[in-house]
Amino acid sequence: MKVRVDGSICQGHTLCAMTAPDVFELSEVDGHASAVSEDVPSAREAAVREAARSCPEQAIVLS
Amino acid sequence: MTTDDVRVRDVEHKPKIELNRHSLAYRDDFEPWANRLHAEAPIAWNATHGGYWFISGNQEVFDLVRRADLLSNENDVRGDKRGYYGINIPHDEDPETRRGRFSGFLELDPPEQRHYRNALNPYLSPAAVARWQSVADEITRASLDEVIESGRIDFVDDLANIVPAVLTMAMLGLPLKDWVVYCEPAHATVYTSADSPDWPRVQQQAILMGQQLYGSVQEARRNPRPGMLDALINAEIAGGKADDEAIVGAMILLIGGGFDTTTSLTANALAWLSAHPDQREWLIRDWDTLRDSATEEFLRFYTPAQGDGRTVTQDVEMHGTRFRERDRLWLSWAMANRDERMFEDPHTIHLDRRGNRHSSFGLGIHRCIGSNVARATFKTMLKAVLDRIPDFVCDPDGAVRYESTHFINGMQHLPATFTPSARRGPGVEETIEKLQRICDEQELAAPVTVRKQRAKLAD
Repeated sequence: MKVRVDGSICQGHTLCAMTAPDVFELSEVDGHASAVSEDVPSAREAAVREAARSCPEQAIVLS
Repeated sequence: MTTDDVRVRDVEHKPKIELNRHSLAYRDDFEPWANRLHAEAPIAWNATHGGYWFISGNQEVFDLVRRADLLSNENDVRGDKRGYYGINIPHDEDPETRRGRFSGFLELDPPEQRHYRNALNPYLSPAAVARWQSVADEITRASLDEVIESGRIDFVDDLANIVPAVLTMAMLGLPLKDWVVYCEPAHATVYTSADSPDWPRVQQQAILMGQQLYGSVQEARRNPRPGMLDALINAEIAGGKADDEAIVGAMILLIGGGFDTTTSLTANALAWLSAHPDQREWLIRDWDTLRDSATEEFLRFYTPAQGDGRTVTQDVEMHGTRFRERDRLWLSWAMANRDERMFEDPHTIHLDRRGNRHSSFGLGIHRCIGSNVARATFKTMLKAVLDRIPDFVCDPDGAVRYESTHFINGMQHLPATFTPSARRGPGVEETIEKLQRICDEQELAAPVTVRKQRAKLAD
């Protein structure tokens, strides 16, 4: 699974980092999210799917 | 407009409803209204307060809010823009009042709106907020210590009003003890119905609050101190600097956003936990696992900031509705949060709900800039209550909800009793004095880009 956050859609709700803090990191300046790495370990796939579901802006792209 | 235009518009204004958001019907029949609208009219023309589109469906809110090309937040208080009326429906009729209650950058569009956000983000990011944790802990401790030996508390007056207000003052860079100056006007302007006889007096209070804020801006220009007010004074806005009126507008927004909403969330959550002691027990037992999902669920269910108004900027057809330029529109975060097409069993609080993509902090570019403060402050107060007075019992006859929940779903009073225990330290007044010294010495209100360390409170 690959993950990325669409920076033009993310508004810094931070739900992704609450759900999977090892996968999503937040900017110190505005709290917007980015993926620590685009590769998702298989053990974390369920958490990343849940994070994507949780995003109020639907800014997380999985492939 | 010709008679033909009026006829066309009347045909287009459908489905038609009459739901006065300032009425008790909105407050007390909220769930039946949400169910009915979701089933029949997730976009409806609300023929009250001059008429406006009432958007209650989750998908419809989501699709509309991100259309910056279609919707404006502009409140043209000086009459030099497009004449739009901002985020309040109904808007203030009196131009002086409307100008005096201007909600800063929430009532601006990009690019100017973005300049304000950029200036303030480093004070309100998760990293910035984390630095304040021990301050939040300390003012919470002091608030509980004022009442903990008596066995009686009003969760609003004695806790939920105090902590968010003191923290907001600290982050602004205003004197902490001035929280009392702004507290009641901030609440009264949102819990009073526009149809109430109190409305003119409350509007006057709001104007006075604006004047006090003007004074604080002058003081800050003379004697600069770190904080969000300093950021507003020095920010690069549209190639220049914000004038006093714009700065005061931004402060009204930060105070209005900072005071009432977290207070409301906390009071509502505590009332619910008192009424559901088994759920409270579960939350206490599994706090580390449930803390975040419970917070998001209380946010979804209570939606402290119920919605926001917009103005349509161009003729467009969406979701089978013909929107016209200058139409007013209300995005009901509160009803979107109860849409069963998005949230299973929407009218029930599930402390462990997953995938909770609520819109209680709004959506899009105007997402509540204080959301990280709100979450942290709420969790701090909730944890302290669960730790120190876990058997609290709220008095259902003493609980007072806001008369009008047109804007904020709040409570004015929430009295409760509990098993008394020992104080741990000084009370609120003495603690505020101590915290003021610490804020000043450690320059806690500086942006996170300048000061990264957490606040250190001497024991």
